[in-house]
Amino acid sequence: MQHRHLLSNEIDLLLDGEAGFGVAPLRSHVDDCAECRARLDEARLVADALERLPHFAPRTGFSDRVMSQVQVVEPWHVAALDTARRFVPESRPLRALALAGAGAASVAISGSAVWIAFSADLSFQSASFVADRVRAALVSGVAQALETTLGSGAADAIRSSGSLALVGGALALVAAVGASAFGFRAIASAARQRGS
Amino acid sequence: MAPSLDLPNLPDADVARLAQQGREPAFRELVRRYERPVFSLVFRMVRDTATAEDLAQETFIKVLNHIDKYRPEFKFSSWLFKIANNVAIDHLRRRQLSTISIDGAPNASSAADVEATRFDIADKSESALDAMEARELGSAIERAIGALRPEYRSCIMLRHVEGRSYEEIAATLDLPLGTVKTYIHRARHQLREALEHLRE
Repeated sequence: MQHRHLLSNEIDLLLDGEAGFGVAPLRSHVDDCAECRARLDEARLVADALERLPHFAPRTGFSDRVMSQVQVVEPWHVAALDTARRFVPESRPLRALALAGAGAASVAISGSAVWIAFSADLSFQSASFVADRVRAALVSGVAQALETTLGSGAADAIRSSGSLALVGGALALVAAVGASAFGFRAIASAARQRGS
Repeated sequence: MAPSLDLPNLPDADVARLAQQGREPAFRELVRRYERPVFSLVFRMVRDTATAEDLAQETFIKVLNHIDKYRPEFKFSSWLFKIANNVAIDHLRRRQLSTISIDGAPNASSAADVEATRFDIADKSESALDAMEARELGSAIERAIGALRPEYRSCIMLRHVEGRSYEEIAATLDLPLGTVKTYIHRARHQLREALEHLRE
C-alpha cells in the first residue's frame, strides 16, 4: 500500500478507468484508504452527473432552416450515373434481357461502324479510279479533236506544253467551232431572206 | 433519381459520402443525427437559446456547404464538433470584445445602449431562489459548467456528454493531448469545488 494520499491527477486516472502497470498500486491504495476512496466517489459523482446531462433540442424546423441555406450540388458524373440507372429494369430476368440486348446492340453498332469505314474506303478508291479514267478519256478526246482540227504538228506542240496548254487549245477549238456555227447560221439566214 | 438507401442505418462516413454526391436526404440525415449534440454543445458554451440556435445553424451551413472538403479518414462528428466549437469560441470572443467594461460597451452612446451592453455581474452570484434551484444536481452542474472557462467547457462537454476519448478531443479541438488532459483535470476540479455545497 502507498503511504501517501493520491494526487488529483491520480484520481483522474482511476476515474477514466485507465488500466496498466502504474494504476494497480493506486487501486490498492484506494481499497485501503477511506479518505482517497471518498475523493474518488466524489469525483465519480460529478462525472456521472455530467454524463447524465441531456441533449437539448433546437426549435422545430431547424433542419429546414439549415437546408434552406445549403447548396446541394450533384456532380455531373453522379447525375449521369443516375440517368443511366433509370433505364435499368428492376427485376433480375428483365435486367439480364436488357444486358443481352445492350450487348447485341453494341456488337451490331460496332459491326456497322467497321463496315461503313471499310465501304467508305472502297468507295473512295473506286471513285478515284473512275475519275482517273474519265480524265484520261477527256484528255485523249480533246487531243484527237485538236489533231484533226489543227494538224498533228500543232497538236504535238500543245500536248508537249502541258495540260494547261491543252485546256487552252480545247477552249480555242470550242471557240472556233462556235464561231463557224455562227457564221454558217448567218449565211443561211441571208440566203433565205434573198429567196423570199 | 438516386437509388433508395437505408440512411438511418449507415455509418456517418457513408452518409457524408452520399452528401458529397449531392444527395439531399443524406444532408438532412446528418442534420437529424447531430442537431441535438451540436446545439447542446453550443448552448452550454454561450448560455443563450436564440444565440445557440443561430450558431448551431451557422455550424451546419458551414459544414454542409463544404462537405466536399470532408475527408473520410477522419470522424465526421469530430469535424462537425470542431467547427461548432470554433463558431462558439469566435462568438464568445466577439461578445467579450463588446462587453469589456462592466459599465457597458465603450461605443455605447445612449443610456439604453449602456443598459443593453452592461456586463451582468449578478449572473455569477446566486440569489436565494437560485440556490434553491441549485439543490437539484442537474441544474447546479449546468451552472457550474457555465462558470468554467470556454476551453474547459468544450473539453469537459466532449469528454463526458459526448463520450469522446482524450485523443479525439485533442484532434477535434486542435490541442495537444497534454493540454486536453490538463483542461479536463482542471475543469473536474472546478466542478467538484462548485458542487461541494450540495454534499453539506
